[in-house]
Amino acid sequence: MASSDLASHSSGSALPTAGTAHGGGPLERFTYDDDIVRKFATATMVWGAVAMLVGILVALQMVAPIAARWEAFGTYPLAFLDILATTEIISFGRLRPLHTNAAIFAFAGNAIFAAMYYSTQRLCKARMFSDVLSRLHFWGWQFIIVCAAITLPLGITQSKEYAELEWPVDLAIAVVWVGFFGVNFFGTLARRRERHMYVALWFYIATIVTVAILHVFNNLVVPVTATKSYSVYAGVQDAFMQWWYGHNAVAFFLTTPFLGLMYYFLPKAADRPVYSYRLSIVHFWSIVFLYIWAGPHHLHYTALPGWASSLGMVFSLMLWMPSWGGMINGLLTLRGAWNKVAADPILKFFVVGITFYGMSTFEGPMLSIKSVNALSHYTDWTIAHVHAGALGWNGFMTFGMLYWLMPRLFQTQLWSRRLMAAHFWVGTIGILLYIVPIYWAGITQGLMWRAFDETGRLQFPDFVETLVALMPMYWIRVLGGLLFFGGMIMCGINAIMTWRNRPAVYETPEHQAPALAPEFTDDPMPESRLTANTDFGRAVDAKYIQGWFHRVWERKPLRFTVFTIIAVAVASLFEIIPTFLIRTNVPTIASVQPYTPLELAGRDIYVSEGCYNCHSQMIRPIWAETKRYGEYSKAGEFIYDHPFQWGSRRIGPDLAREGGRQSHDWHVRHFEDPRQLIPQSIMPSYTHLLRDDLDFGAIQGKVDAMAMLGVPYGAAIDSASQMAVEQATQIADDLVKQGGYEFYYENGDISDLDPAERERYRLRNKKVIALVAYLQRLGTDISKPAPTPAD
Amino acid sequence: MRLSDLIGALDISAFPQIALVIFLITFGALCVRLFRTGSRSDADRASLLPLQDDAPTPKDTTR
Repeated sequence: MASSDLASHSSGSALPTAGTAHGGGPLERFTYDDDIVRKFATATMVWGAVAMLVGILVALQMVAPIAARWEAFGTYPLAFLDILATTEIISFGRLRPLHTNAAIFAFAGNAIFAAMYYSTQRLCKARMFSDVLSRLHFWGWQFIIVCAAITLPLGITQSKEYAELEWPVDLAIAVVWVGFFGVNFFGTLARRRERHMYVALWFYIATIVTVAILHVFNNLVVPVTATKSYSVYAGVQDAFMQWWYGHNAVAFFLTTPFLGLMYYFLPKAADRPVYSYRLSIVHFWSIVFLYIWAGPHHLHYTALPGWASSLGMVFSLMLWMPSWGGMINGLLTLRGAWNKVAADPILKFFVVGITFYGMSTFEGPMLSIKSVNALSHYTDWTIAHVHAGALGWNGFMTFGMLYWLMPRLFQTQLWSRRLMAAHFWVGTIGILLYIVPIYWAGITQGLMWRAFDETGRLQFPDFVETLVALMPMYWIRVLGGLLFFGGMIMCGINAIMTWRNRPAVYETPEHQAPALAPEFTDDPMPESRLTANTDFGRAVDAKYIQGWFHRVWERKPLRFTVFTIIAVAVASLFEIIPTFLIRTNVPTIASVQPYTPLELAGRDIYVSEGCYNCHSQMIRPIWAETKRYGEYSKAGEFIYDHPFQWGSRRIGPDLAREGGRQSHDWHVRHFEDPRQLIPQSIMPSYTHLLRDDLDFGAIQGKVDAMAMLGVPYGAAIDSASQMAVEQATQIADDLVKQGGYEFYYENGDISDLDPAERERYRLRNKKVIALVAYLQRLGTDISKPAPTPAD
Repeated sequence: MRLSDLIGALDISAFPQIALVIFLITFGALCVRLFRTGSRSDADRASLLPLQDDAPTPKDTTR
């Protein structure tokens, strides 16, 4: 309805015209900076390949330990896969954050920058504000990505999902995002020669301001060293902030900028305007207003207060409608042009991408319903959901844009249209082969966790049984990932070959547009249509009901940005302030005490190894869970957890009540090689924890940082390292009594070494002792008597 | 009296309702603004912006 009949849009409107006709300034000549778009587009493809390759590695790590033991004709043909489960720097807990960060911030990040730099210049009829800032943004961002690729495999992490990077990198992100990118973007808006800001620009504005707010508040930390910090928030509040951030990273990094991309590049590729511009405005404000509330749906049935959880669920459900408004707007843009879709792989990428947007934004609200979430949470269902979004929506929108840009950026024909079409099909099949078995895996495991036999006992009491059942699905996922990665490579080949056919010197066409007059008189407020009414009534009709105010906004970037910030901040305030300030939300438990210095050091190892990627520490008040793991988790148990370690996925069992369940010896041997105790375990080996010395001297600094955050450390404030040595000695002695290792020496008989040499292998001084101390403490405080004041 | 006492005294169950009302007012105002008679020509003009940036389109981008 809306806009195919453009020719006849005169339709008797008495409204004044807004837009180019208004400028009135002198005619100006300018060029666009396409070099920066070429840079971001290239980085998109390079990092996309890296992110997907790391994804394939982590997918293989799910199957590798079992596959390595697969016997055929007396040999172990896949034994080489064992390296994926035994190599320290590529262990799953370190690599998975690298995969997610690379996919989100490197692949999707560079893609949205390419989209923004291309479209913003053209929609504003202005070159970017500063070529220097553009380059600082580009190289600064690539530097941050390289920092991530180095620090994450080294185990330097804050352990908050998609915010793992440590504080120096966080500072760099803030500078690049706000100082380089933000200033450059808003500077361009200020210098634009098109009065009206097209809806894509609104989505970009929302992206820039909201990501900046989220990033700053979720990353408030107290640094301990240059590579280690503690979140200023603890437990429930830290979890709340993290998922307020985490969900809105999805909203404002993976959704709004891609919607801006859709609203610009889809009309370009289809050569027709968006189906309904008015629907896009509804879409924008509803998305911005609703998304920011939805974070708590990541914490259903946890120790988060119930009201916050319900609030998150209701707003998530409401999100379905504007999201589908956007999907419908995208798809209907192609109405009457489906013959083009059949012929043009670029439009096919867009159509499938938008369809996945619709699927994901239906599934998201569904998963946020508490009773669905009770089944889906901690399972692969979530993994399938995010990959439908990441591969289908973000991936395919990016590919569609890249193929549309290639001939324009390289100023030649696309090298191979057939390869592009092949990429479309390979990618589509890859997505399906990824998500279908992983949905299956998620629901299978969720149902197995909650299955009871006729006597009322858990049907699958051994956690590993519920994991082994998923192996065939995990193999299919590897295949799907390989296909999607193959598509990325095809895209890269097409780009390189197209680039090789580029002209010797790129043309830089010059454009002309009148400058916006510095003094802009707004369209006059329309006459009120009311006759018998008060002056106030007539003013309301003219200004608000006839919509004059919003048209004024749409050409005022500053005011527009302020209102976007208000929409985002309202939700944050309504949710965050009560969570932080109402003490009844986190009832304290008298017997819950701070971690000892050694346990704190062990906790840092737990964080560093990324244990939270596979193990939750949050038992939900659900019968199947309390039966399997013990008493459900209480908010008051986490008040010293800077940062929280609740996790979001159970590839291994929950550890909230792990303390005292196994002997020290069991833990040490389990870290040495999990498969000597549980043959079908897929947990990596952590032999380096038995080899590496614990830095007892550094523990004092950790305790001091915690004390700064208000953790009541008492005597440990002066003697943390000494206390840690004492506790380590105690644990090492107990370990020997249990028949465990006194020394860990792999190269022969320890008694061959002279006594001084031997001490280097004494287990008491190793990292594993601290980690065992931490694990043995987990969840035990609530069953202890409250300390007397004399303590 | 601490701020947390003050906030704690509020009835939390009203928060979602206040939020809902704020959203509905915003949403209502938006719909009125957009779907009243005569707003279409503005919107149609705006929707043409991406197609008016005279980007050089390669004559034949494919083969």
